[in-house]
Amino acid sequence: MANGLSKYIRNIVDTATTVFEGMAVTCSHFVRRPTTVQYPDRTPMRVQDTLPFRYRGILEVDMEICTGCLACERACPIDCIVIDVSKDKQTRAMVMTRFDIDIAKCMYCGLCSEPCPTGAIHHTPEFEGADFSLESMVRRFVKDPVVCYKPKKTGEDDPEILPLLDRGMRYVDEFASPDGTKPAAEEGDAETDA
Amino acid sequence: MSLAGFEVEVEQVNGAGLNTEEMTLNMGPQHPSTHGVLRFVVKADGEVMREAIPDVGYLHRSIEKISEKVGYHGFMPYTDRVDYVAAMFCNQGWGMVCEKLAGIEVPKRGEYCRTIAAELNRISSHLLSVGTMVLDIGAITPFFHAMREREKINDLLEEICGARLTYNYMRIGGVAWDLPPGFAEKTLAFIDRFEPVLEEYHDLVSVNAIYLGRCGNVATISAAEAINYNIVGPNLRASGVRYDVRRDEPYSVYPELEFDVPVGTGRAGAVGDSFDRYEVRLREMKESCKILRQCFRQIPEGPVIAKVPRKFKPPAGDAYIRVESARGDMGWYAVSDGTEFPYRCKVRTGSFAAMSIIDKVSRGLMLADLVTVIASLDIVAPEVDR
Amino acid sequence: MQDLLDRLMQQGHFAGVPVHVVYLIGIVVVGAVVLFGFVLNVAGGTTFIERRVWARIQSRVGPNRVGPQGILQWLADGLKLLMKEDTIPEAADPRLFRLAPYVVVIGFVAAFVCIPFSGDLIAADLNIGILYITTVTSLVVVGILMAGWASNNKWSLIGGIRAAAQIISYEIPAALSIFPIVMLTGTLSLQGIIRAQGWAPWDWFVFANPFTFFAFFILYTSLLAEGNRTPFDLPEAESELVAGFVTEYSGVRYLFFFLVEWGNLYVISAIMVSLFLGGWQIPPVTDSPILRNLLQFVTFFVKSYFWVLVAMWIRATLPRIRVDQLMTTCWKYLVPLGFVNLFGTALWMVIWPNGNRVVEALMTLLGFGLIGYFFSRVWFHLRRSRYTRAEILLSPFS
Repeated sequence: MANGLSKYIRNIVDTATTVFEGMAVTCSHFVRRPTTVQYPDRTPMRVQDTLPFRYRGILEVDMEICTGCLACERACPIDCIVIDVSKDKQTRAMVMTRFDIDIAKCMYCGLCSEPCPTGAIHHTPEFEGADFSLESMVRRFVKDPVVCYKPKKTGEDDPEILPLLDRGMRYVDEFASPDGTKPAAEEGDAETDA
Repeated sequence: MSLAGFEVEVEQVNGAGLNTEEMTLNMGPQHPSTHGVLRFVVKADGEVMREAIPDVGYLHRSIEKISEKVGYHGFMPYTDRVDYVAAMFCNQGWGMVCEKLAGIEVPKRGEYCRTIAAELNRISSHLLSVGTMVLDIGAITPFFHAMREREKINDLLEEICGARLTYNYMRIGGVAWDLPPGFAEKTLAFIDRFEPVLEEYHDLVSVNAIYLGRCGNVATISAAEAINYNIVGPNLRASGVRYDVRRDEPYSVYPELEFDVPVGTGRAGAVGDSFDRYEVRLREMKESCKILRQCFRQIPEGPVIAKVPRKFKPPAGDAYIRVESARGDMGWYAVSDGTEFPYRCKVRTGSFAAMSIIDKVSRGLMLADLVTVIASLDIVAPEVDR
Repeated sequence: MQDLLDRLMQQGHFAGVPVHVVYLIGIVVVGAVVLFGFVLNVAGGTTFIERRVWARIQSRVGPNRVGPQGILQWLADGLKLLMKEDTIPEAADPRLFRLAPYVVVIGFVAAFVCIPFSGDLIAADLNIGILYITTVTSLVVVGILMAGWASNNKWSLIGGIRAAAQIISYEIPAALSIFPIVMLTGTLSLQGIIRAQGWAPWDWFVFANPFTFFAFFILYTSLLAEGNRTPFDLPEAESELVAGFVTEYSGVRYLFFFLVEWGNLYVISAIMVSLFLGGWQIPPVTDSPILRNLLQFVTFFVKSYFWVLVAMWIRATLPRIRVDQLMTTCWKYLVPLGFVNLFGTALWMVIWPNGNRVVEALMTLLGFGLIGYFFSRVWFHLRRSRYTRAEILLSPFS
């Protein structure tokens, strides 16, 4: 009987003290600053600018430095990249007539940007891709046929292409490689290591 | 029958009992508290359940079949979707099974990177599990605190691999990116601010009398039952079985790390009740913090990925490996026929087994307890259905 | 209010108008003012304040876009609900389904007849005041049961039945905790009870003797249970029953149920403050009746709203208890304790018919000591979380 009574009182006291303690914890939270980021209009700066360099947002291709090696098309598991490359009869150069990425199919895995020799295809910090039409989900990067880029052995000297190449190589160099270096950009290299 | 001091008696009128019927309720695929699309057909006698039959398959996406089309390398992002709450473990599992098939060894630093990412993901997965469990039981605040901490982990993992949920961080042979500069400081700073949050959780939730009453002695799974039903992970450890793949079949760098394996203590009633499953997860988060600190102290320099050909063609054969995922022992089985596409890939997940025990354990429980059971077993629908 | 009208008629304001018409006009005017001026605004505003309070406790911001700081959010929500399609499930009982929200609202609004706003402002100071309030708020049970049954939805039915069992059970400890106060004052009228207290904390009934102190907590718990608030919100347990007995309701009918839930918070708090915390009593600082009534109104409102905030705070903190534990708590814990309080107060009145000033002072000290201890625990939790100065935000605006 006494055991039952003490257990009874114990129950009441436990309930009261734990509720009291719990309310103290929530009260301590009440005076703290909320951690909400009031996106999109009340952020201190654009969210896209706060994202890390490796962020895998919507894909973008710098056609000026694309070598047409098709490594990204082969690597994509979903087949959302479609590239048409052909040899132009007159100029004997490789020309790209189509480079479409369907960003609705894309799962932002990054497998395409990894084997790119120049970093032409890379992820951007952009993530706001919502739109009203399905057609706008296919990003067409080639309007007029583009000559495939041929990386110069002595390094790039064109002032317009150099920043793009630098940025692209910086993106690609983030990826780890077994010996710490990235292999030189070669066209059509199917058997290169990761 | 007697439930917690509330006697239920059927009145005898003219020698005949009151005519009562069982209700068949559908806790359907759309429900605020089944974790994902799960369906239960519940036969209830008033508030007391007689049967709770699970109906799975609403989230089946044929991921295992897809592996046969995309190849070994291309399958890595799909493994994220097998359990998107604890995706690093799935990545690690697939990486390990391919490495076993082809006999590739991952460099030391790569293993450490994998472990760091995995343990961070373990913490975030447990936060989600614990947070949603408390939310289902009725307390709305601890869920948001858990999500707040999880956001910080998401930010850390975003720095390391560029994505917040479907990481695709690991590759066959190692990891895709090395740790960025300053990562160790940021993570250690996070852990320093995180451990007091666990204490706060303890004070707000674990000692709360109402919470103990809701979870204590509810759906007790004994050790023998747990083993027979294939329960793994924190659920198994809560039932008293000290089995952890990291300790008993160690892989990666776990032999070099010191950590405890928390086991259920039965503080709220019985060993293996819902409260134990919750508490084991809280303690595992603490252990993961310990592991992370050690990793950052011990991580060597070097490459993070081994040489793996772009057209990965492992020799014909099969391999099975185990990873200790946040939800338990996750088994990956791959059969190779010598080409660059696997012949068959199979995942064995902890949540699928946990679904099987729900019917047995919920007989005689009340409707409100079914929610507690599902939440405490930490069942995520993508793991169940793949 | 009747006194007020009588005085005005004596002063010759309503010459030529029959008495009953004056009373009728008074009722309509007062009813309209109370209902539209006070009840709806407080109930609606409470929904907004609750969301902001919860958000701060949960490290979030809460609604802050609609109107400055979001104060028009509740109007926007109400308008949205008004404009929603009125759906009635095909197999639902048409008359009961439609009638249920109105029954619930009647039960709730009728309680405001007896809630005092200040010394002279009360719709009707019935001499059975508190009994009337507890009776009329029980009408809500009928409405909830109707809603649960008529929805033709097993989950709603379970919710309705749980609610009925809960509300009916918790009437008992509530009544048992009200009796000590009634015994102390000898009247059921709310204004009488308030007038028997003083403005100072040691004159309040909560500190009169240890038994009324515990009766205070038992009453608050029981009234929260009656109002379907966490930790007793099983009837509308979101995570189990989708929305419990209101699952099938949409639009205005849903609005009614939720109006009642949040407005009921104010009724609960008003009862607590009237019975235990001195009501609208203020120190005698002014003679002007208008100023005095204004100060009393503000005091009463602030005190009541504090307990509304505490109810919101409790809901943010605690999980919900299961139905059998609910019953156990009521019948095995609160009812016996209620009886202990009842007999204890009776014994106290026999031994000290005029109260015991020493004990009152000690109890007041104990009360404030508890509050002080509470803030020391808050400080402990803040320190343990290793907060930085930038992480503290005391202002409610963000």
